[in-house]
Amino acid sequence: MCRCSVFCWKICCYMRSSQTDFLRSVVVVSFLFHRVHNTSNACDDDDDDDDDDDDDDGGGGDDDDDDDDDDDDADDDNDDAAVLSGVLVQRRSRQSYRSYVGSHLGFTPGFPQRRLTTSRVAARGRRGARAPGGRGAAEASPAQLALLAREWQLSYVTPLYRFRHDQLRSYARQLGAFLAAETRRGEAAEAGLEDGLKVSITLVAGMAQTEEDADAVFIQMHSKRQFAAPDDPHKLAWSGWLACVGGDADYLRSLPPDFVCLPLLGASGAEGLTALVKAWFRRTFDCCFGPLEINSVNLQWLAALWTDCHAQTSIQQLKLVWSLPVEPPLQVTYTVHPQDAWELWESVRQPGERGEEDVGEEEGEEDGSIAIEEVARFIKGLQSHFYRHFRVELSAERLTQVSTALGAAKHSGRLKISNSSYMITTLTLLTECALLKMPI
Amino acid sequence: MAVTLHLPRPPDLNSSSSTDSSSLNRSVNRSVRVAEIVRRKTEAKDSLVAALKYFAEVEAGTPVQGNDELERNLVSVERVAYSKGLSPEAISVMLEFAMSLRMGTSPCVRVLKCLLPTTVVPHQAVVRAVVWLCVGKLPISTQVVFIKWVLTVFDMIDAKDHLRAIYGFLFSFVTEENLCPYICHLLYLLTRKESVRLFRVRKLLELQSKLGKQPFLLHLLSLYKVFCPELVTLSLPSRMRAGFRNYNGPWKSALIAIQKRNTGQVSSDLPLALETMERSGSRKRKLGHMDLPALTPVVQIQTQTSYNKAVVPLAHINSFVKLLENLHLIELPAQMGSLLGSSLALQYLDCVQDESAFLRLNFWLGHALHEEFLFCGHGGASHSTDEVVKFLERLLSSQHFLQEGFSSTEAFLYKFLNVWDGSLLRPQILGLLSSIPVVPSSCIGRLLFEPLMQLFLTSTLFFKCGLIDSLNGMLVKWLTWHSVYAREDGLDISLNSHTSMNMSLSGFMHSVMELVQFVGRLASMGLQLEGCHSLLLSFVLDFYDTVCDMFRKYGLPLLVMPPVGVFYPALFATDSVSVDRLAQIMYRYKINLTSAKKQEKQTEQAFHISRQTYLEFNRYLVFMVNCLWNSKVFQPGTAVELSEELLLRSRVPQYKASFDLIHHPAFLGHAVDFHRKCWPEKREVDLNSIKPSKVWGWYLEYLFTQGFDGLKQFIQSNISWRPSSASGAKTTDTDLEK
Repeated sequence: MCRCSVFCWKICCYMRSSQTDFLRSVVVVSFLFHRVHNTSNACDDDDDDDDDDDDDDGGGGDDDDDDDDDDDDADDDNDDAAVLSGVLVQRRSRQSYRSYVGSHLGFTPGFPQRRLTTSRVAARGRRGARAPGGRGAAEASPAQLALLAREWQLSYVTPLYRFRHDQLRSYARQLGAFLAAETRRGEAAEAGLEDGLKVSITLVAGMAQTEEDADAVFIQMHSKRQFAAPDDPHKLAWSGWLACVGGDADYLRSLPPDFVCLPLLGASGAEGLTALVKAWFRRTFDCCFGPLEINSVNLQWLAALWTDCHAQTSIQQLKLVWSLPVEPPLQVTYTVHPQDAWELWESVRQPGERGEEDVGEEEGEEDGSIAIEEVARFIKGLQSHFYRHFRVELSAERLTQVSTALGAAKHSGRLKISNSSYMITTLTLLTECALLKMPI
Repeated sequence: MAVTLHLPRPPDLNSSSSTDSSSLNRSVNRSVRVAEIVRRKTEAKDSLVAALKYFAEVEAGTPVQGNDELERNLVSVERVAYSKGLSPEAISVMLEFAMSLRMGTSPCVRVLKCLLPTTVVPHQAVVRAVVWLCVGKLPISTQVVFIKWVLTVFDMIDAKDHLRAIYGFLFSFVTEENLCPYICHLLYLLTRKESVRLFRVRKLLELQSKLGKQPFLLHLLSLYKVFCPELVTLSLPSRMRAGFRNYNGPWKSALIAIQKRNTGQVSSDLPLALETMERSGSRKRKLGHMDLPALTPVVQIQTQTSYNKAVVPLAHINSFVKLLENLHLIELPAQMGSLLGSSLALQYLDCVQDESAFLRLNFWLGHALHEEFLFCGHGGASHSTDEVVKFLERLLSSQHFLQEGFSSTEAFLYKFLNVWDGSLLRPQILGLLSSIPVVPSSCIGRLLFEPLMQLFLTSTLFFKCGLIDSLNGMLVKWLTWHSVYAREDGLDISLNSHTSMNMSLSGFMHSVMELVQFVGRLASMGLQLEGCHSLLLSFVLDFYDTVCDMFRKYGLPLLVMPPVGVFYPALFATDSVSVDRLAQIMYRYKINLTSAKKQEKQTEQAFHISRQTYLEFNRYLVFMVNCLWNSKVFQPGTAVELSEELLLRSRVPQYKASFDLIHHPAFLGHAVDFHRKCWPEKREVDLNSIKPSKVWGWYLEYLFTQGFDGLKQFIQSNISWRPSSASGAKTTDTDLEK
């Protein structure tokens, strides 16, 4: 398989747009042309993290575009959308199925309306409410801080059967024994006597947002080095967390009390260990895991949510990566100056649905709801600006990556959160995505 | 070490010999040849008795070398053993002789090799032999032979509980390196939950560290893990052989031969295993969501609950009898998905009332189906269809067994039908479709009919047939549910045995009505699209076979007539089978309608069959009789009217009679045949010569002998006709009109 050479040039244009006064942007556009020598292996080009994206091209590509449509349609309540595609229909039927299942299938009374909400609480609004002093990031607990500054691979998890938060210590011991048994495959071990990896499972306080949310759980594995001094810090071999942040209350309430719903798993560490941990959870709590991709719509949401925080915490830059379905594959990295992004965001926010009666009232927005139309307008603004200069219609392409100083997310389900203040908002969105994937 | 052993006394040999001699007396009167055989037999028996007596009484320290007596007795025992096997008493004597080493080690192995039981092995003998084993004078190789022998005849030992009592003694032999594999096997056969102790686990682990990953240790440990998952963690290498090696070397074939000779049949030595599934062998597949999880018991974490309730993990149940005995104690496995892997577990699932259990199963199943068919973001195409087919087949057979669809399958199908191309895994998906439980009429259209309609209209003939068949299956299942779960007041039926949700009878009837009408629409369009293909027509008529009997067979006060798009194509079909089936269906309709009417008059019921249905039926009936019998097709006032002019322009002679039983394209061939048989000398075929009532009667008789039973029933029930009267006929359907 041939590696492809990457042609890259950057067009740095320092421009002051005369037509649109909101975009005084420093736009750094870098095109990454992946020229493939062997055309038959055209799809095997790789940027460092593009492997996953490429894998998803088959099914995922369609999903995203259609999700756009879907959510737009949803607002207009237009059920006659012409596009008949998997996800669109799937989501619609799921919604319609909800009422049906609720009344019909005995064991899930009150099937939740599981689709992406069209409006969500902005991060700053929430923070303002909770910490009037505006202490910023200082309010995060140390356990929460552990979730920062690492890249997590996300998965969704079906509800855990008979998971008990008061048994975490015992779970840790069992998981350790399981890992030991699996790594020394074919050799039995006495339960409870693990060596090699030291597993700890702890509670992360303060993540649950509602009554129904189960407390988040943090799992760490430290490897013991054989010749380490006793006071040497153990090396962190794997870490992961399970969380439910602001999950759909109806859905959570509909589950019998034996089930604990922690639909979001973030894992960081060796793939093999992730697989083993998943296997143990599957075996112990009878749950299932599946990959959680973050589709275009959700990435757009994240872009908007993070930009919205700029007034409090600088986002440094807003970087969006689009992938273009052309041959050879093309990737557009679109970096926006934070101030420009903020102003564009403000401009799409101002004449919003909140009506003309309270135009320009900052306080009115402090209640903190962001509507999907605003997100759509924001992205559209960015795209039309790009089109004006480069004649490339980004709206037809697939958004694969969003990153700011507050966090970064990729289509393949990789997530990095850098600032604890806005963690909850991000995780709420992702919890929603994970709940959408639940089979029932 | 305080186990008391019941040492058996040497058995009473005299009693057995006396019964032998009495049998001899009985056979005196037989023929000489038989008598000769019997004599030889008794001789052998006598010599056996003598031999056993010798072995029972021989003194310790008797020399072996040059001992002719020993040789002679041993040979006679061997002869009997290899031909018929040894009686329990003989086994006791010989085993005692061999293990006690009364004549040293040299005859020991030879004796052990001929210990072939006829019926059972007395447990006392085995226990006593183990006692001799504990004395420790036996050479290792002989010990191995002995344990192998025990393993071979294990199933024939009469009371194994006594062996379990000396579990500890047997366990102590695992340290013997040569004996270890066999002892492990024996322990494996004897292990109960009580015998799993921490010190034994530790001993085995210690051995494992010494001997390495030996399969026999792992098997025993994995059994320990099944009983006490909290004591031992273990994961078996995927490529490990299942079960222990067969150590039964010299005995097995001889035993089978003896059994065959004695009883004429071989008891199967296949253990009734709970686990029927084989692990998937392919290494290629990365995503395991289509694999059934293994049946493993729950690891007890909350110790307070584990010991005060005596529960039996499902994994321990290995026979139906055991399942019945422990039905109230069974604990569900750690992963509910594993239940689909075994038929016994499915039996149990049928009686599970726990909603959480079903939810777990549905989460797993739904996840597997979603990942495979809907999310497939990870190169779904690369999955081997074999595995998927196997998975779906298993799902189908489970649903078939439970006679109930899983709700996650149902939810999955509603989504999948929208993206299905109609060809991927068609038989399986259609199979799943047919087991969808009753859908409320309010959403049946959106969930089922819209996607199915699209698929139907854009697909091949075979898909159309398959879909109609699948919907027929669905209807039959719904109606069966109704007749099984209908409450006595007839108004409420519980939809699903595992839920408390009920559906009112009117709601159910609406759903059935919707379904029947939907299939009617599909069938009309399908027949039009496919040019009234007889294969499709046959499937459609299958469906109406079910529909026409809804009242009589399933007690549902609802009858729906086929739409014109089905009725006329069937009536004018070119194959006589379709017409015959239509006649049969009309006959069943008539029976159902008349009995419904009768019941209506007798009892005050909340639901009546609508008057419209009667009218529709009568219209069809009149037309059918006019067409087939009265030769009055296209008459004004009947369902199909054509203007006189048009008919004349078509230049069909006698157009009115063109669809009667003689001229109907489906029966024309029969009419010609009949004509030839009646008038073999006539060159010209004049079909009108069948018309006269006498010949007409013959013709009918002829048709009935051709197997047109439907037609026969139809005619006999609807047309009062005497051959003597003129060819006129009249319908007697007026009584149906309200």
